[in-house]
Amino acid sequence: MSAHAEAHHGPPIANHSSRVNASILGMLLFIASEIMLFGAFFTAYFFVRVVNGIPWPQPPFELPVFVAGVNTAILVTSSFTMHWALQSIKRGNRAGLQAGLLLTFLMGLVFLLTQAREYSRVGFAPHDGAFGTIFYCLTGLHGAHVFIGLSILLFMTIRAFRGHFSPEQHHGVEIGGIYWHFVDVMWIVVYSTVYLL
Amino acid sequence: MAARAEVERYRPDWREGRVMSWITTTDHKRIGILYICTSLVFFAAGGILALLMRAQLAQANEHFITKQSYNELFTIHGTTMIFLVVVPIFAGFANFLVPLMIGARDVAFPRLNALSYWLFLFGGIVLYLSFFAKYGASRSGWYAYPPLSANMFSLGHGQDLWILSLHLLSLGSLIGAINFLATIHNMRAPGMSWMRIPLFVWSIEIYSALLVLVLPVLSVGLTLLLLDRQAGTHFFEPQGGGNAILYQHFFWFFGHPEVYVMILPAMGIISEVIPVFSRKPIFGYKAIAFSTVAIGFYSMLVWAHHMFSVGLPNFLNVFFMLSSMVIAVPTGVKIFNWLATTWRGNLIFDTAMLWALGFIAVFTIGGLSGIFLAAFPVDWQVTDTYYVVAHMHYVLFGGSVFGIFAGLYYWWPKIFGRMLDERLGKAHFWLVFLGFNLTFFPQHLLGLLGMPRRVYTYSEHGLWQTYNLISSIGSGVMAIALLVFVVNVVQTSRKGPRAVNDPWLADTLEWYTTSPPPPHNFDHLPYITSARPLRDLRRRLAETRG
Repeated sequence: MSAHAEAHHGPPIANHSSRVNASILGMLLFIASEIMLFGAFFTAYFFVRVVNGIPWPQPPFELPVFVAGVNTAILVTSSFTMHWALQSIKRGNRAGLQAGLLLTFLMGLVFLLTQAREYSRVGFAPHDGAFGTIFYCLTGLHGAHVFIGLSILLFMTIRAFRGHFSPEQHHGVEIGGIYWHFVDVMWIVVYSTVYLL
Repeated sequence: MAARAEVERYRPDWREGRVMSWITTTDHKRIGILYICTSLVFFAAGGILALLMRAQLAQANEHFITKQSYNELFTIHGTTMIFLVVVPIFAGFANFLVPLMIGARDVAFPRLNALSYWLFLFGGIVLYLSFFAKYGASRSGWYAYPPLSANMFSLGHGQDLWILSLHLLSLGSLIGAINFLATIHNMRAPGMSWMRIPLFVWSIEIYSALLVLVLPVLSVGLTLLLLDRQAGTHFFEPQGGGNAILYQHFFWFFGHPEVYVMILPAMGIISEVIPVFSRKPIFGYKAIAFSTVAIGFYSMLVWAHHMFSVGLPNFLNVFFMLSSMVIAVPTGVKIFNWLATTWRGNLIFDTAMLWALGFIAVFTIGGLSGIFLAAFPVDWQVTDTYYVVAHMHYVLFGGSVFGIFAGLYYWWPKIFGRMLDERLGKAHFWLVFLGFNLTFFPQHLLGLLGMPRRVYTYSEHGLWQTYNLISSIGSGVMAIALLVFVVNVVQTSRKGPRAVNDPWLADTLEWYTTSPPPPHNFDHLPYITSARPLRDLRRRLAETRG
């Protein structure tokens, strides 16, 4: 019995040498590599558009700037609901967390479905020259990220309804939220360059 | 009765078996050992490919292997040595050593760490299985430029499997790099500030940062190449509005930092070995640490020096020439600091030290030929000749591989708990040193005589045959040397003397625990008060003893 009473038996207690939590740091580093990934795709875009001098959008095709703009607004709004969800659980408001995550998920889903509908109506295919190739690759790469973000959101929502997370423990919401914000910000860049510029 | 039934019912967990415990492990030390051993197996495989090439080139007009096979050999040799040997073996060293050096229990994400290893293993297996694809493995060289790597000229799925393999390897490396960064930032022992971490940890910090920033760009280049090959897109096809040079930018934006990914950890190892065997503190700790950061930064601004011959605008050529030459400054800082560390030191010429000193000698030659190559008028003359082959083997074999062996001889007792044999170790070093210079020095001369790289044979032509024969003989000497290493490992694995905690009287924290370390690494840790915690401990002990 006395063995149990001995003070701290075993390896030394883990030390945290940084104020940033390791999982959050890991997510931020992953996002750094994601930015390089998108950066490389944008390099391809500018190479085709500036160096090769291809007209954008290539006539006779047109890009649905207005519908994509509405879509942009939806995605940006979902970032605010995500933030609301995180703030709610930090204050212990479970209903706010659940509503926030559910709204974020639904808005992300609407964005992705609108994007799919846009693909079916835009009138050109990836193999129709460099313009089509770059358009589908940039928006498709982003769409894939929205899909991954939605999968993460789905798990967070299920966990929120099962009673996970608390004001003390909410890294699961925070880390997924960082990723979702990244997906939103990246869409603003994609929209500005591909549709508006 | 009840107790006996309990005993009979006990079955060890399926994860506790001799093999399964290695397959399911998340312990950083075991994953490190897996990384190192797998890389050494691939090193042997890549070495055999090189020996086949040297056998083919030993004589003029030889027909030992066909030209198609020769192209497969140099492609897979290059890819193996870079992606399956040097990068992952450093991940192995980092896995084993970083948590021990900073006084942590494990890495930040142990399960991701295991995933990273298995991605590496399967990526390697995919690469070697691609030899069995229709039309054989990839034949377009390790940088796979389109249009050579496009559908038209690379038939079959060898090239696609090469892309798949590199995707798996990049993903594994990326996960590993994020893991190392989170570990180094977040898990240092109390008192271990940034200026107190070992220089090897500094090199792994920059190694990881570079991988996080440049691997995605490689992945994009490869993905677009795959789409061009399989989905009919036109990224790199000028007829469809694409641009073949774009691929070269993608590849070398990754490819040049990759060179520093492969040399910085070797420099980190050297920075650990030299002070220990000089019995002096490292000269200029901060200068070496900051030069590592500087090399990492500049390495991202020099990629187009691989593209001087594509006809970029001249102001770009000048920019990339100057930025490449600037890297010589932080590199020189390191070399002079190592020399200053040995200056008036009490040098102990153990095998690890021989490799470290060999590194300085040979790497400096490779660095100097690199400065010549960075001058684009010179590059125009010798690009794609054996001069380039000689240069990159002086830095990658003479640099990275010498560093790897320095690290293996130095940390072997800590990793496996047995001392390697010094006599065989020295024979290994001197044979490699001799064989290496025999193999690669004549290649400088071959390049200046105009012999292009990647040709599978040549006609009798002045001194070409003589130099090629010397080079092939040298490769045989290196093969024998590596057998000496294998004999050393096998002999000492059971009979070698057991290693004590700190056989070299070193200063860094990994020598504080037992050899090999227990699963939890440390029973207790000293408060870290300098970059040399074990010397501090020894001093305190001497003081208390009076």
